[in-house]
Amino acid sequence: MIEKDIAVIGGGPAGMASALKASENADVIILERNEELGGILPQCIHDGFGNFIFNRSVTGPEYAQHFINEIEEKEVDVRTDTTVLSIDENKKIIASNPDGILEIKAKAIILAMGCRERTRNQILIPGTRPAGIYTAGTAQRLINVEALMPGKRVVILGSGDVGLIMARRFALEGAYVEGVYEIMPFPGGLIRNVVQCLEDYGIPLHLSHTVINISGRKRLDGVTVARVDEKLKPVKGSERFIPCDCLILAVGLIPENELSKKIGLDIDKRTLGVIVDEGMETSVPGIFACGNVVHVHDIVDDVTISAERAGEGALKYIRKGYAHNEEIRVIPGKNVRYVVPQILRRKDFDKITFYFRVVKEEKNVSIKISDENDVIFERRERVVTPSEMIKVEIHSSLIYERSAKQLRIDVIGDE
Amino acid sequence: MWCGILERKKLSDKKILKKAVKVAKKNGFDNVEIKVEDRVVYLTGRVNLWEDFLKIGSLTGKIKGVRGVVNNVDYPGKKRRERKKGRNEKIGEADVVIIGAGVVGCFIARELSKYNLKIILLEKAEDVACGTTKANNAMVHTGIGEKMGTLKQKLCVKGHKMFDKISQELNIPYKKCGMLILTTKETLSNYKIPSFISNFICRFIIPFILIRRGKKLGIFMEKIGRKKLLEKEPNLTRDVISGVYSPTYGITCPYLLTIALAENAVENGVDLLLNTEVVGIDVENGRVKSVLTDRGFIKTNFIVNSAGLYADEIAEMAGVREYTIHPKKGSTIIFDKETGNYINHSITFLKFPRVEHYKGGGIMLTVDGNIQWGPTIVEVEDKEDTSVTAEEIEHILKYYSHLLPNFPKNKVIAYFAGVRASTFTEDFFIEASKKVKGFIHVAGIQSPGLAASPAIAEMVVRILKNEGLFMKRKKNFNPYGRQRIHFRELNIEEKKRLVEKNALYGRIVCRCEEVSEAEIVDAIHGKIPAFSVDAIKRRTRAGMGRCQGAFCLPRIVSIISRETGIPPEKIVKDGKDSNLFAGRAKCFLEEKND
Repeated sequence: MIEKDIAVIGGGPAGMASALKASENADVIILERNEELGGILPQCIHDGFGNFIFNRSVTGPEYAQHFINEIEEKEVDVRTDTTVLSIDENKKIIASNPDGILEIKAKAIILAMGCRERTRNQILIPGTRPAGIYTAGTAQRLINVEALMPGKRVVILGSGDVGLIMARRFALEGAYVEGVYEIMPFPGGLIRNVVQCLEDYGIPLHLSHTVINISGRKRLDGVTVARVDEKLKPVKGSERFIPCDCLILAVGLIPENELSKKIGLDIDKRTLGVIVDEGMETSVPGIFACGNVVHVHDIVDDVTISAERAGEGALKYIRKGYAHNEEIRVIPGKNVRYVVPQILRRKDFDKITFYFRVVKEEKNVSIKISDENDVIFERRERVVTPSEMIKVEIHSSLIYERSAKQLRIDVIGDE
Repeated sequence: MWCGILERKKLSDKKILKKAVKVAKKNGFDNVEIKVEDRVVYLTGRVNLWEDFLKIGSLTGKIKGVRGVVNNVDYPGKKRRERKKGRNEKIGEADVVIIGAGVVGCFIARELSKYNLKIILLEKAEDVACGTTKANNAMVHTGIGEKMGTLKQKLCVKGHKMFDKISQELNIPYKKCGMLILTTKETLSNYKIPSFISNFICRFIIPFILIRRGKKLGIFMEKIGRKKLLEKEPNLTRDVISGVYSPTYGITCPYLLTIALAENAVENGVDLLLNTEVVGIDVENGRVKSVLTDRGFIKTNFIVNSAGLYADEIAEMAGVREYTIHPKKGSTIIFDKETGNYINHSITFLKFPRVEHYKGGGIMLTVDGNIQWGPTIVEVEDKEDTSVTAEEIEHILKYYSHLLPNFPKNKVIAYFAGVRASTFTEDFFIEASKKVKGFIHVAGIQSPGLAASPAIAEMVVRILKNEGLFMKRKKNFNPYGRQRIHFRELNIEEKKRLVEKNALYGRIVCRCEEVSEAEIVDAIHGKIPAFSVDAIKRRTRAGMGRCQGAFCLPRIVSIISRETGIPPEKIVKDGKDSNLFAGRAKCFLEEKND
């Protein structure tokens, strides 16, 4: 039995940042199933990372290496090639690696397993099941890490950031990218990526379009695309067959919470992530969560920042133990899809950062945070879109000096 | 003799012809010519639609006493398959050649391997269990759902009882999870009858008929009232009226079973030739002489035709076609294991009028802990049509959802289709050909073929004996399959010991299904080696979980490459032409520079 103050599950950006923070004052172990730290970053060889943390744009491997170096310096106990098989509510972890089965007892646990990609099955695309269909992240790993080309003539479904970046990647590799198809009337990824990954390479973006059939017996021989109406249903007569040998799916990410569910943590139906308070503590005392396990982030810098908070929360927990006040629920209001943290219940952080997304794009809006009686915070935004997460930081005293039972965040347009 | 004709009233050819002509006329098939020979109906001529081709086949197949229907009726757009060329080189000699390594062919091979015989099992695909066998609902039916008096029912009842022993011998999963056959408000909703009457029928008459049927067949079943049903299955619809519980209904894993059968057969001396397609059969003096394949010919006195969807084409090669296979597709949706505890038994419900030759599918448990909904039943033109259509997905999610109104239907992890090898008489066709000695038909094996397969194998052995094959029991037959280790099923102490012995058990490659690298390596070097990603998946479940291989695929590719020496870019998903990759990175840029 290995005894540790804090065990971190996952050695991606969230796991590394939280472990680093926690290791300032505790004995920490990181369990990572890959052969190296970094999570998804080593395969993200494009730049655009680190604008907030380092004030400059670096590539994924560089971003990861910065933290890997620090972890090595701090001599954090890192176990790579190690898969966690189970965690129980007493914080006993069972993990497996080629050296044996590990049993770890930790005072606090930080969950940082990241997310996984939705597949063609989750969005119910009909058709056959040939070779040549990959999720964007898998394709990215294949090209950038394994040096294998998934296909030569490519259709991309979904204009989230990974989809856009992969469109450019395929083009750079000399493959023909027929187009990027997006079911929504707006692109799913950051505007800068639409410009830098599609427009600069002459790759068409077809909004309000989706793939309605997959054909090919052994290897993909084409897909049928169609325009969709306001209800996202395919429009009859708009179908078009596109010959291709590769379909890349960038149709969303789901927080990876199989372990969390087995422990019995509360899950938010909106984010599909675990519910956390402002110290990133979950519904089981002493179990914390950060990064994409909580909700899917757009930018790794935000993951790092929120993960540091989880590290801090875990440190406070092992030092002081359980110290919660009465819960204040944070409710997504008008044009808000979700808010993290979902609950507030501790006074041990000076500042609280709310992360949230809007349901639909809107211009010239007011972001308002209010309790039962008053608006306690207000900010103007020129434009808000579902693809860009909004952050609001406020002093926790603003909330705790009132005896609010719930807070509401609204995004209200001018008219 | 144990034949398909046992239960059928023997009508003379003349009478059958008269009936067939009448039925064709009545339905406007004036351009169809009908011949009857030895109670097989031969149809030729022309119709305007594929649907009409099916209709005339089914109509004549229903005539009492008809053994088979060979439907050569033409229709616009009918596709003809090109036959591959054979190689004129002798590659072997055998007492028996079995064509097709699905569950039926492999069962027959294993059964025959108990005797001192030289047996060759041929399979056109790169692995066993690649056709109908791999894509069905894995149900080990009891026989209660089959038409009374059919051969398929008889063999199903018998085969089902053999599963306990076979699963133990071969170390394959088999669970008698039980089946609830329900009546609900939907059962008679297509009829305009007062609700008290339909309630009465659903509550008393239907269960009574089912239980009486069970008694006749020796299948224990009990009636369960609404209240008890809701106790047994708390998530069940409140619209349930009554039900019958069949506790012996089983589930297995059809591909693990088939792989285990094939491995055991090989262990006991059977030669399995994969990637070997039969292209012709030599007949001399009314007796089979050799089987011609795309790799060469095999001399033999006996051929067992268990070619599934292609059984009619194989029979044609020997000039003994007595049936036409009309493929019927079935699609199934699989849900996340997370939903696995939502029900405790497999559940089906009766809906009238019933679709002919279809038990109605249902919400079924699997041995792996997933729940599956389906299958559908759809006639298809193409024997290889395994596409799942939008209509089918919609139908499945709608049709069964009233049984479990609050089921999390968004937890779909996969859907697939399999194709049933049905004949127009809609029964198994298992008998020795009278025209060509040594040719044994094992055709029309649709549901409940999996449950019936052990009994089919026994029946085929008996037929071969009757046909004059000299059979002597082996003394050293080894009935036991080897233990396949599934890391996820072990407790922590067992896991520890295993990792100590072989470190690769400690490296989890497929996180969703908790499959270790050692299991994958083991599959690659198995008795029937797995070189493709899907072959590994069938043996280990790697890639069958919620992420559908998004995480483990690159890792499995590199393990296959490391273990076999196949360059990664040449690795396939599922056999020939299913290349996973278009080449190495930068290969297109190099092409351009050339």
